[in-house]
Amino acid sequence: MPSRRTLLAAAEVAAWWVPLAALWLVLVNTVDLLEAAVGAGASVVVALVARGARRAVTGR
Amino acid sequence: MTEALIVTALLLVAGSATAAVAVRDPVRQSLVLAVLGVVLAVLFTVLQAPDVALSQLAVGSALTPLLLLLTVRKVRRRGQRAAGGGGGSDGRRGGGSGP
Amino acid sequence: MNGWILAAVVVLAAGVGATLWGVVTGPLRRRAAAQNLSTALACPALLLLAQGYARPAYVDLALVLAVLGPVGTLVFARLLADELADDPPHARGPTLTAAALGAAVVLAVSLATGPGRALVKVLVVGALLVGGNLVASRALAGGMQEARRD
Repeated sequence: MPSRRTLLAAAEVAAWWVPLAALWLVLVNTVDLLEAAVGAGASVVVALVARGARRAVTGR
Repeated sequence: MTEALIVTALLLVAGSATAAVAVRDPVRQSLVLAVLGVVLAVLFTVLQAPDVALSQLAVGSALTPLLLLLTVRKVRRRGQRAAGGGGGSDGRRGGGSGP
Repeated sequence: MNGWILAAVVVLAAGVGATLWGVVTGPLRRRAAAQNLSTALACPALLLLAQGYARPAYVDLALVLAVLGPVGTLVFARLLADELADDPPHARGPTLTAAALGAAVVLAVSLATGPGRALVKVLVVGALLVGGNLVASRALAGGMQEARRD
């Protein structure tokens, strides 16, 4: 069973991922399956980066 | 109307490019260069080349001033160190510390 | 050809021309403030051009400029902090004018766009433009020194 910290980290990455994926879907020209898949992958990467940046700024 | 737009963008580019040459201080020159990058991007857009304008924006608005300012800062630090520490490894003397 | 292009000509000639004059002459703080305003005024001009040419793809240019313009200003605010610490550039009036112009242009373009995903895109550009402009001018006016003192 994952610990509480792991669950919190996963929740934060998911919370970053939702608006980022929504932003991708808004900004692309045509919405199809390939665009959605690429956007989901890119949003995962950027969500991890955003969590790292947030931790670096707040110092925790 | 399109001609007026092209003429306006060309005048802005010509003015900022002339200013970038005429300004002598590198720090102020980098400010003028940032404006020149943005104006050039507008000119490319007006001439229906948005792809060129995109790359010009990416390079000209943030990257070129960053490189210039970092270079200026490094040169100044080296000059200060040479003046305070009695010359660098190449034997160059800083101003004011010589006999 | 149409009113959008005419408005773009006016914004470019009056707004960007004035910031070009400001960045060429005067003390360093005025030049830094004028450089910030030049990106904040060129971005509405690009939006107007995209609408005037009836090419929604050109909105990408305004989006990139709305992201990268404040980044460039933050570069100047960080690396010129020592030079600007003595008399920080307080350009409240011109900054608010540029922000109001950007908001008005975004409003007009979004009204002309109509509902849909393109409208959301224009609104994202507008939020980035106005917010980034205000944040960048605040950093230029001394927020960077406060952050460094911590």
